[in-house]
Amino acid sequence: MRRGIVATAVAASLALAATACGGSSGDSSDGPVTITWWDTSNATNEAPTYQALVKDFEKANPDIKVKYVNVPFDQAQNKFDTAAGASGAPDVLRAEVGWTPAFAQKGYLAPLDETEALEEKDAFQPNLIKQAEFDGKTYGVPFVTDTLALVYNKALFEKAGITEAPATWDDLKKDAATIKSKTGVDGYWGSTSAYYAQPFLYGEGTDTVDAEAKKITITSPEAKKGLTTWQGLFDGAGLHKADTTADAYAHIQDAFVNGKVAAIIQGPWEITNFYKGSAFQDKNNLGIATVPAGSTGEAGAPTGGHNLSIYAGSDEAHQEASAAFVKFMTSAGTQAQIALKNSTLPTRDDAYTDEVKADPGIAGFQTVLPAAQPRPELPEYSSLWGPMDQELPKVASGAETLDEGLATLETAFADLLPDFSK
Amino acid sequence: MTLTAPAPAAETPRSRRRAPRPVQRVRDSYRRYWYAYAMVAPVVIVLGVLVGYPLLRGFYLTLTDANSLNSARTIGVNTIDATYKFVGLDNYAEILWGPAAYDRFWSHFVWTIVWTVTCVVLHYAIGLGLAMLLNQRLRGRVAYRLLLILPWAVPTFVTVFAWRIMLADAGVINTMLGTIGLAEPSWLEDPTWQRTAAIMVNTWCGVPFMMLSLLGGLQSIDENLYEAAEIDGASAWQRFRHVTLPGLSSVSSTVVLLGVIWTFNQFAIIFLLFGNTAPDAQILVTWAYRLGFGQQPRDFAMSAAYGVLLLAILIVFTSFYYRWLKRNDQLA
Amino acid sequence: MTSSPSTKQRRRGELGPVAKVSTHLTLTVASLIALFPIVWLVYLSLGPDKDDYLHPGGIFAKATLDNYSFVLTNTAFFNWLWSTLVVAGGTTLFGVMSAATTGYAVSRMRFPGHRPLMWVLLLTQAFPIAVLIVPMYEIFSQLRLVDSHLGLILVNCTTIVPYCSWLLKGYFDTIPIELDEAGMIDGLTPFGTFWRLILPLARPGLAVAAFYAFITAFAEVAFASTFLLDDSKYTFAVGLQSFVSEHDAQWNLMAATAVLIAIPVTVFFYLVQRHVVTGLTAGGVKG
Repeated sequence: MRRGIVATAVAASLALAATACGGSSGDSSDGPVTITWWDTSNATNEAPTYQALVKDFEKANPDIKVKYVNVPFDQAQNKFDTAAGASGAPDVLRAEVGWTPAFAQKGYLAPLDETEALEEKDAFQPNLIKQAEFDGKTYGVPFVTDTLALVYNKALFEKAGITEAPATWDDLKKDAATIKSKTGVDGYWGSTSAYYAQPFLYGEGTDTVDAEAKKITITSPEAKKGLTTWQGLFDGAGLHKADTTADAYAHIQDAFVNGKVAAIIQGPWEITNFYKGSAFQDKNNLGIATVPAGSTGEAGAPTGGHNLSIYAGSDEAHQEASAAFVKFMTSAGTQAQIALKNSTLPTRDDAYTDEVKADPGIAGFQTVLPAAQPRPELPEYSSLWGPMDQELPKVASGAETLDEGLATLETAFADLLPDFSK
Repeated sequence: MTLTAPAPAAETPRSRRRAPRPVQRVRDSYRRYWYAYAMVAPVVIVLGVLVGYPLLRGFYLTLTDANSLNSARTIGVNTIDATYKFVGLDNYAEILWGPAAYDRFWSHFVWTIVWTVTCVVLHYAIGLGLAMLLNQRLRGRVAYRLLLILPWAVPTFVTVFAWRIMLADAGVINTMLGTIGLAEPSWLEDPTWQRTAAIMVNTWCGVPFMMLSLLGGLQSIDENLYEAAEIDGASAWQRFRHVTLPGLSSVSSTVVLLGVIWTFNQFAIIFLLFGNTAPDAQILVTWAYRLGFGQQPRDFAMSAAYGVLLLAILIVFTSFYYRWLKRNDQLA
Repeated sequence: MTSSPSTKQRRRGELGPVAKVSTHLTLTVASLIALFPIVWLVYLSLGPDKDDYLHPGGIFAKATLDNYSFVLTNTAFFNWLWSTLVVAGGTTLFGVMSAATTGYAVSRMRFPGHRPLMWVLLLTQAFPIAVLIVPMYEIFSQLRLVDSHLGLILVNCTTIVPYCSWLLKGYFDTIPIELDEAGMIDGLTPFGTFWRLILPLARPGLAVAAFYAFITAFAEVAFASTFLLDDSKYTFAVGLQSFVSEHDAQWNLMAATAVLIAIPVTVFFYLVQRHVVTGLTAGGVKG
């Protein structure tokens, strides 16, 4: 026991000395600059591609070293928030588009307009650049984009005699019933999470809030109509009942890739996983269509994706090195490589090379991009999904009525946005 | 997870009882307080810096509207000053009788009490039962003992994840329940079942400590007492009631106090079992944490106010507990 | 420190056959319940795919140690091990050292402020994390202690130090004060007495305190999850969580890592548990 204690003591004091000496990112001057990159991509499917690209970058820029850190997506926003105002922040962050305005507002991100990182600004799709802006400055370089689409199993649709993807939610409902009667599997399985409910709001021409009019619109008649449609898709012939379990995301995915449900709403980040499943060994079996439209006849889905942002607290040498790194990672050549390996969507037109477009998944999602709705420049916008993720499952499972859920949401939104009217 | 704490009854120093004169002399020399203060100084300084100052700071924050948007932050060389303002006792008023007081505070408060009481009762009852079974002449006693303390030996943050998998919708527990034809509750989704699951996991984790402590207590009870009771014709129940329980009273009061404090403060189990879901199964500690660090924007002032309220509850509880212990001691 | 001689002269009658069977039955069931989650975790760690936990029956046919080799070669496992040892070791060292003198002082000396100090120590070791975490974050931000092991050691000390002080006070109380007296007669100062006579005798107590401090710091979840940001600085409690992200939960890797963490800790625990329990009940039973 005593020897154990002494050993630990020695170990600990050594370690303390080591932590005290090994400064954070402050070691500058000569020698290579080491920048830290927090990547939030899927650690199994996507990260290896990025790690390989980091090696390429280091080879091309011998005076810059990149420390690659994979941070789980659902923890990264919180961790960066903890770090950025204190210590331990990375130099470069792969930030979900929804995080950018809030981090920019707090002063955590460096404006990139005059830097190397945004030299090729015009090459990027304008609405994605716009989404990275806050107060007239650009705080991120679009890295990956995505939007939701209706993905479906072509074989099952054909077996049911359906040749075209449903254009509206009502069509989807009918198709689901047909598929159920002809093939025996469920036609559609909806998610109860907030992000996946957005298309129902856009389909009625509304949203959770109207950022310009500073008004909470979740209880508006349009929103109620959209969410009634949403609610109606959990009960009926060929419609899988609401899965409100903690593992719902995995369950839906598992059923779809194994041919146990014919259609779901999903984003391109799962393309690689689709292809791994037994139902999509033939990549061409994967159908990708714009999300169904609401009663207005308009279809819309949220624009997601990720920007590369640079931490405002790094010193000049690190910011310059970071800008070079960001430029490299978002260049046309790199993006095309990423697209080929990960099947994610590039953010600039010149990266959609013929080779890239040969991937049926990418080609499919590229056609649905026009329906993507940019997010308003409102720092709290993505925080609104927090309360929705709590209420919507209750509504979907019938634990409370839609009206009750919406009333709770209105209160919760008012808390987050005190200067908005109801 | 801390493991033990002091016996509350240790306040009467044995030295005073049998202090002979030379000892008194030692004591006198110790009267030079200088030594005493020098020896407690490290701890006093450490606690002053690490607990006292943060506590005052935290209390001040509860009187403001501080959140992650308006707090001071240091971004490399740039420092942005705090812009939160003083709001007096508004935060407390909002927590205790604001419009969302029931949903946000009182429901969690009631659940915390239910959680603490249920868990401690289960810990104690199961722990005592197992200890009494183990306190017999029995083949394989040592093996049982080693197996039964396994939940304590493996770190909680590991075992909670094992439970998380087992309790999942298609997990092994529901599969078993299904095969024997019982209902398959949604442990991780339905509020009532979430609470049941949390209690279950905490009970599983906490029983071994109770069992071992009570086993130690049982082994220190004088055998002659049982013999005498038996000669007097006391039934098994009477022996339990009048010999075993009184014999365990001092160890019981310690472990129950510890059990209450640990369960009340239990963070890891609920936090790791449910992640950012299950708002209804959060006890005050995890709820306060979530307000301050688990949501965007972070509400530092509210979180700190919950912290102060928690502290108040704890102080009230410990004071009452000691008063109660003292009175019982005098009665005995 | 009485570990009772127990079993030998237990004189109450042998158990009847029915009682015997039901006792064994109850204990067996209880042992199975205690054992099962751990066994299940080990079993799941053998399944190669992240969704295997949904179809556990399939693991039997394709059991492999791939998860273990992946965790050991492709994750920061050894960094986590090192960080955990640094944090737990640092907390133990700092906590026990500063607690020992205090425990001795409050055990032997009556000085003004003695009782309030005892009360404060008792209350502080019962602090829920929510009381301090917000101001700690604010202070650590300014001192740039977020994302550092030193910060975490200091935080852990807020509960460890008062707790160990009480524990050691209890232990010093069991050492006869006549020894101090002898030391004084030999001309030792109170420090000398403490250092040369009492501390060596208190080794078992120190060991128990050290063990508690180590285990507590080892298993600390809340502060570590909040304050550690760089994955090479994670302690095990944080590292393990990084496998179970909502959209990409790698339960198979989590299970393998959990087993790797649990084995040494459990072995260590079993080796020292006798002493721990005796030390612990000694605190409770006397008095």
